[in-house]
Parts: sequence; structure tokens; C-alpha cells
Amino acid sequence: MSGSGPTAMLWSPLGSLPLAHLVPTGLGPWGDGMARLVLQPLDLLLLLALVLLALQSGRPWLDRLALMLPLGWLVGGLGGLIVGVELPLALPCAAIVTAMGVLVTLGPVLRLGERLGERLLLTAAAGLPLLFGLVAGSSLAGHGGALPALLGEAVAIAVVTALLLMALDPPHPRWLALGLRVVGSWIAASGLLMLGWLSRHPL
Amino acid sequence: MQRRLSPLPPALVAAVLAPAAAWAHADHHPGGGFVAGFLHPITGLDHLVAMVAVGLWGAVLGPPALWLLPLAFPPVMALGGLLALLGMPLPGGEVGIALSGLVIGLMVLFELRPPLWLAALIVATFAVFHGHAHGAELPAGAHPLHYSLAFVIATGLLHLVGILLGEARRWPGGRALVRLAGAGVALVGLWFLVRALG
Repeated sequence: MSGSGPTAMLWSPLGSLPLAHLVPTGLGPWGDGMARLVLQPLDLLLLLALVLLALQSGRPWLDRLALMLPLGWLVGGLGGLIVGVELPLALPCAAIVTAMGVLVTLGPVLRLGERLGERLLLTAAAGLPLLFGLVAGSSLAGHGGALPALLGEAVAIAVVTALLLMALDPPHPRWLALGLRVVGSWIAASGLLMLGWLSRHPL
Repeated sequence: MQRRLSPLPPALVAAVLAPAAAWAHADHHPGGGFVAGFLHPITGLDHLVAMVAVGLWGAVLGPPALWLLPLAFPPVMALGGLLALLGMPLPGGEVGIALSGLVIGLMVLFELRPPLWLAALIVATFAVFHGHAHGAELPAGAHPLHYSLAFVIATGLLHLVGILLGEARRWPGGRALVRLAGAGVALVGLWFLVRALG
């Protein structure tokens, strides 16, 4: 985090903005980046939704997801750093998270895994992290230590994805399958409220 | 032989204390963030009893309503919140919330089992009222996603409490207990209805 003068004056209000930037954790930019996954949880919700969708689809590409998700996010993030200007894409990102939550909730009923097809699911698993990484990278671009922060969050994404895939390895008992759909409905609900909030308080 | 202390207790103590230290600094603004969002449905009695009642009624209805109602409630409630945040008014909001406790409480008390679509419609209608009230009260200074997530999770956990209470029906005397809980919910709902209309 940069320190003095006008930058320091700007930092304080920026820290309280939703979806924005880094919250100082005292662990340096690397730690701030890792913490960002939890403190600015839109990326976390996308990650969770993608993992749940992949688990429901029963495709044999779960192992690939563990690599695609963090890598896609990191590539997007680096792109965002290069762009250097914060992209005003919070609303579309919230809409995507909402839609993903709905898909997770309704997935087994509509047999989405079969209908969407592997190619479309793979495209989503690669493309969406790329987009969210791009947004995150662009929002970090103005900060000192943006690159280590980006790497920190990418590592956090890789670890959380791997842990989730390991812990939720299919086949699932019925209660867990229902529980995962409930999580999907919570993601959708949070996304909807986020959409409303962003409509009222545009960034 | 002297017994060696397991490393677990100190680790456990540290684990218990660490979050408290973290939270102490996390959110000085009572209106914002995860804690405020989590406490919001829990600290409002009208919301609390209605959320628990949804779970109770789900347990009375049995599968698939048991999981369908709690599954559908959060998104529909959020839809109500979205309407509020978009500035769309919902007339009779307080009355609707009070009615939710009264009606669902009575459903539990009398163990009424309407068709699934009707049960879902009743719960969804009330969910919109609850969501609208929550959305209207979402503080401007709060981190919206933290607040929303916590608030949705708390709502879901209240449903779970209701479902677990409802599972007491499997035990002797449990059925009467659940009906009693339904009566309690209905009474609270009635009290709020009188206040709303008064």
C-alpha cells in the first residue's frame, strides 16, 4: 500500500468501497491479495459456483478445473494490470454470479450437465475466471504491490478450489447433493441483493 | 509417568481467541459488514419466528417440501430485496411479515398439508415481504456482498433450525412439541399483526 500525501488521503475511503481494491491485513501485499478472496468475496462466489456446477455435471474434467480456474483468473488479472484502469464491470459480474447460483440450484432438475455440453461448461470454466481476474487486476492496478497481491489471490483460489474438489469428490449422498443446491440458492440470493445494491449505489 | 499435554488445547484456545481479536477490529461500523448482516434476521423477532416456521412447516410437509421450501426461500426473498433496492414500494410490508408468522404458524399447528405448489406459493409470497423489508434496511455504508451473504446464510440457518426442530416429530411427544412451536409462532405473528394494524 502506498503511503503519503494525496494517495494516503484517497486510500481511506477507497478501502471501504465494495468490490474495490485491497484491505490491508498487515501481512503485506501477498497476504492482502490472499485475504482479498474472502474480504471481496465475488471471486469466491464465482469459484464456488463453478466448482459446484462442475461437481453436478459429473464430467471427467474436475481435475482440469483445479488448474483452469486459478490460471484463467491469473491471466485475466495480469491483463487487468496491463489495462491499468479500473473496469466498471461490477454489475455484470454480480449478474453472472447470480446466474451461476441459479444454475447450481436448478442444475440437477434441468439436467444441465447433459444439456449444456462439455464444451460450453469448459468455456465457462475458462472464460469466467478470465473475466473476473481481469476486473480484479484492473482494480488492483493503481496499488503498490499489485502483482504480489494478484499472485497471492491466485494462490488462494488454487488452494480453495483444490480443497473443495477434494472434499466434495462425487458421488454425493442425497443430503449433500441437496446441501450443494442450497448453497447455490444462497449464491443466487446474495448475487441478487448485490445487483440491487449496485443499482442503487453505482460504483 | 507424567502425562504429556496434547498440543490441541493451546491450539484450540488460540483458534477460539484469534477470530475474536480479528473481529474486534474488523467492523467498527455497526451498520456494515458480515456481522450486521448475520445478526439482522436473528435479532428481529418477526423475521426470526417466520424463518424457523418455514423449516418447521417443511418438516411437517415432508419431502420434497422439506428441502424445496428452504431452497426456494432465499432467492425469492432476495428478489424482494432487489425490488426494495430498486425503489419499488411494497404496500403493507409490516402486515405481510406479521401474517407470514401467523399463517405458517397455523399451518404447523394444524399440520395442514396443501399441495406442494400452494405451499411454495404461500412461502414465496411471504419471502418477498421479508426480502423487501431487509432490502429497504440494507445500510448504505455496509459492504453489500458481506452483508447479503451473511444475511442469506443466517436465514438459511434459521430454516435449518426449524427443520431440525421439526424432526422432533419422529420421537414420542415430538409431534405435540412441534405443534406447540407452531402455536408459539402464530401467536408472535398475531402480536406483530395487531401492532402493524394498530
